Amino acid sequence: MGNDMFKFIRIFLLLLFCLAAIFCRVAFAAVGCELNDPDRDINKAFPQSTGYKTDFVTIAEKGGEKLKVEIEEKLGDKFDALYESLDVPYTYYTILKGKDILGYMHGVNQKGLYGGMQLIISTDPKGKIILFYYQKLSSQEAKEFRERSFTDQFTSLTLEDFLKSNEPGSRISNIKDPSKNSHEDFRYTLRGLKKNMILLNEFILKGKKDENKK
Amino acid sequence: MRSNIRPIFVIVILSLFLSEPARASDFLFYKEVNAIGGYSNKKEWIGKTDELSNTVGFEHYGKLSSDHGDFLTTDLQMRFAYDSSEDSTDAWSVEIHNAWVEYRASPELKIKGGHFEPAFGLEPVVDAHSTILQTLAMSDIGFTRDWGAELRGSLPAFDYQAAFQIGSGMSIRREDSSFLVTVRIGTPQTEDLRYGLSTLVGNVLETSGMSTFPKNHLLSKETVFKERVGFDMQYSWQSFLFKGETAYGINDNDNVIGYLTEVDYMAPKSQNWSVETQLQSWFNDMKLPQEDDTTFSICLSYKLSQAVTIRAALTYDLNIFSSGPGRDTRALLQFYYYGK
Repeated sequence: MGNDMFKFIRIFLLLLFCLAAIFCRVAFAAVGCELNDPDRDINKAFPQSTGYKTDFVTIAEKGGEKLKVEIEEKLGDKFDALYESLDVPYTYYTILKGKDILGYMHGVNQKGLYGGMQLIISTDPKGKIILFYYQKLSSQEAKEFRERSFTDQFTSLTLEDFLKSNEPGSRISNIKDPSKNSHEDFRYTLRGLKKNMILLNEFILKGKKDENKK
Repeated sequence: MRSNIRPIFVIVILSLFLSEPARASDFLFYKEVNAIGGYSNKKEWIGKTDELSNTVGFEHYGKLSSDHGDFLTTDLQMRFAYDSSEDSTDAWSVEIHNAWVEYRASPELKIKGGHFEPAFGLEPVVDAHSTILQTLAMSDIGFTRDWGAELRGSLPAFDYQAAFQIGSGMSIRREDSSFLVTVRIGTPQTEDLRYGLSTLVGNVLETSGMSTFPKNHLLSKETVFKERVGFDMQYSWQSFLFKGETAYGINDNDNVIGYLTEVDYMAPKSQNWSVETQLQSWFNDMKLPQEDDTTFSICLSYKLSQAVTIRAALTYDLNIFSSGPGRDTRALLQFYYYGK
């Protein structure tokens, strides 16, 4: 028993050493939000699509800490260490009809009141929302949040609308909380969608604008 | 026969690559470290479970696309394992978990080849590759991955998958005309309530160990003829995830049956914490219910970050139809890293 125990402890120490070596390079890494079933999900928003292209992007690769600070300023909130580390790979789907771009789909993880939520948006090529839905939602009033009468209110909104969300009379401020006792989840939904739109602009739309200028 | 299949397989894969002019690729690369150990009242100090050992590895997940979109997905997940219960010469091994390429012909038809889950039960629709609590697959089929080909797709009302594999599990070997055919039809994975019906037929080799290189231990050169029907479901509700599966069929001349129920709960106030409870039971011969294998497990998980999870589990051997010696209680501790 004694020998086995020493062997066991040795292995544990070896693996902890490996872990320490990894942590010296990467403090936090993470798994991002992908579509559960891309073919089916994309067909909901873009029934005319013939294909899609998948890209993986991280804040660490696109600009690191500096970009993170810029995004946090636009968001008006700090990133959550568990859900929003720099290494989270965001998965972008460019939706195609033949070779033409119909739009984009993208999801983000967002902390919710009863667990994580996954917020998926599809937009046209200029970043105007076509469809919004929850891929995952751990709310006591999930049914109310998933009602089309609520999610459809985000259709046709752009990043500009989210950046002006605190202004009185803005389109976002006119959207009513569909829940009775889950106001936190409503607030988290708005935060997650704003983050989603900021990231889409940073990672995809800015690059397209730069390409067009050239 | 194997020598005839191999060139055909290579030609098929190459033709899939060459049929579309590849324009771009994108991939994710994750490093993985798994440290597991604990104490068993039968085996004393243990450094592995049936599915998990102390490993260092990686996963490379890639997409290849043309101007018309993605046409090929690839996944390679390998672990370098150390088994402290073996002699130093046999202690090291390579485990190939996922090793597949999938060609997307259309949303309704994708063709996969390589090493992947049989299309039966919960295993192909849940990610249990790192968790202490596993699905019924090990008791039911004998392994969680096998070598072969698969057709799958999304139809308007349901998803389907049909796998044709060699019935050997982790290592590539064919004895006694082994094969495994599995078919699963299920509701879309996008729903809160998800369920599926599965069926299986095959001559399956019995092996032990998760090693691919060197080959894991072959328990018998004779296959076991297996037939199954199965039902599985998952339901997400607030902070809970309910899972269940059951399978019934035959092993050679014996009737077999098994079931699994699991409840996972994430603490809303502190979402790093979650707890999973599972009851799993398998009867290898329904005429001898005293030879059942029934365990109750409780597992506490703490996410240090998105990449690091610490788990502590207690597994209690219920063996409900017998009493006295033979019961095994195990306490396990796992340190798991999976990050870029």
